Amino acid sequence: TLCFQAFLQMCNLPIRVICRANAEYMSPSGKLPFIHVGNQVVSELGPIVQFVKAKGHSLSDGLDEVQKAEMKAYMELVNNMLLTAELYLQWCDDVTVEEITHPRYGSPYPWPLNRILSYQKQWEVRRKMKAIGWAGKTLEQVLEDVDQCCHALSQRLGTQPYFFNKQPTELDALVFGHLFTILTTQLITDELSEKVKNYSNLTAFCRRIEQQYFEGHDKDSSAIAARSAKRSLLR
Amino acid sequence: MAAPMELNCWGGDWGLPSLHPESLTVMAYAKFSGAPLTVNTINTSWRVPKGDIPVLVSEDIVISQPAKILNFLRKQKYNADYELSAKQGADTLAYIALLEEKLLPALLHTFWIEAENYCSVTKPWFASRIAFPLRWYLPGKMSREALNRILLTKGGPPLYSLTEVEAQIYRDAKECLNLLSKRLGTSQFFFGDTPTTLDAFVFGFLAPIYKVCFPRVQLQEHLKQLPNLCRFCDDILTCYFRLTVSGHSPAGQDTADANLQKLTQLVNKESNLIEKMDDNLRKSPQHPPRKLTTLKLAAGGEESSPLSRLSP
Repeated sequence: TLCFQAFLQMCNLPIRVICRANAEYMSPSGKLPFIHVGNQVVSELGPIVQFVKAKGHSLSDGLDEVQKAEMKAYMELVNNMLLTAELYLQWCDDVTVEEITHPRYGSPYPWPLNRILSYQKQWEVRRKMKAIGWAGKTLEQVLEDVDQCCHALSQRLGTQPYFFNKQPTELDALVFGHLFTILTTQLITDELSEKVKNYSNLTAFCRRIEQQYFEGHDKDSSAIAARSAKRSLLR
Repeated sequence: MAAPMELNCWGGDWGLPSLHPESLTVMAYAKFSGAPLTVNTINTSWRVPKGDIPVLVSEDIVISQPAKILNFLRKQKYNADYELSAKQGADTLAYIALLEEKLLPALLHTFWIEAENYCSVTKPWFASRIAFPLRWYLPGKMSREALNRILLTKGGPPLYSLTEVEAQIYRDAKECLNLLSKRLGTSQFFFGDTPTTLDAFVFGFLAPIYKVCFPRVQLQEHLKQLPNLCRFCDDILTCYFRLTVSGHSPAGQDTADANLQKLTQLVNKESNLIEKMDDNLRKSPQHPPRKLTTLKLAAGGEESSPLSRLSP
């Protein structure tokens, strides 16, 4: 959720964040989050970016073709590695599943619906992991992959303020969203956030964006941001 | 230097060393980095190994996914990315992720799910290379796995039918090809003049689309509109694979080379032995008293034996 908020903040578009239990069903694609503008509802990063672009706001206009290609490639890397690793940790690591994910995911619903829904979601995620070949991975291998991904991101960022020099782009929003979530969410072990903390320029990057785009607004919005960060872990 | 390494993978046709993208990636990387791999293509006399192909076997170690195989080769000092900067290494990872997310689903679809392609080309080709009775089962299983993968990763609301998913994945694939073309520009390889891991992956994914003759070829037609990518594939095929139409010459060339090497080694060994014997003979006069007594006692037996030792 944070990627979207960051992206919209970067475009200087005001937003209000609302948490709802049936949010997944309200969304046109079943995926969170989604934005509700006037009488239009748009979900997922790609369509939202295009929607915003059609309304005249775009962050990546200043990039040339090769840079746009690089940006798309890095976004895929983040989706491929970080998102899958987050899903793996939530749904395929037995300890985390039992202690955190099941209670959280099922919390809005009464028993036995909460157990049924969370088992269903777990089964779905495990099927997907098997199809892409992640089912055979151990937790150490997943953490290693995350480390490799962070290393690549850290190398690409270097000492620049944003990934493509002076201006933030969709990539910055996406990376911020994922990394901030990893850094601030409480799990059984801290290994995942430790991996990210190893890269000081990435933590500095997160802090910088947080200060620039989130703390500038009221305390309210940062509290909402923290709550919605937890909610995004439920996906 | 290292233990002998063998790669078991699917064979090739239509001018390619292999039809399978992952096998092709590993073969290309081995050529780029100079790793001495013996390539065994799967044929009917084989029992198809369980698990993913390609498989690298080196003494007791068995490794199966392309990324892991490449890591292993790098640890054995066959590194094609030696001259890359850290940022270029990061770019490599990003572009490989792009290929896997955007291009691979369409590639799988063209080979395994598009009905005309599957029935007229893919299934007969693979079936002819698998032993009975697995040939009736394995291609179907590979097709189901491909469909599963596409539906689980790309399907799902708002795309409700297979045709919508298909339209989306082909759109993504064409966009990916355009991005690759822009990134390659006019250079020979993605990072300058020497090929690297990224070139191996791109070649592995593009070459089957480019060369295999399918009835339904929308992706191939799109690729042919990007001349720099076509030139990229052709260059690698001619420089690193040197294939004739039959596709057998590199294997023949390799065995001839190996035989020549063995012969040279044998000849060298022989000449070393001969030199050693010569040295011994020359050293022997340093102990004249012993030699004289033995000569006296043996009455010519000793004399004849050095001579007999010299003759082969």
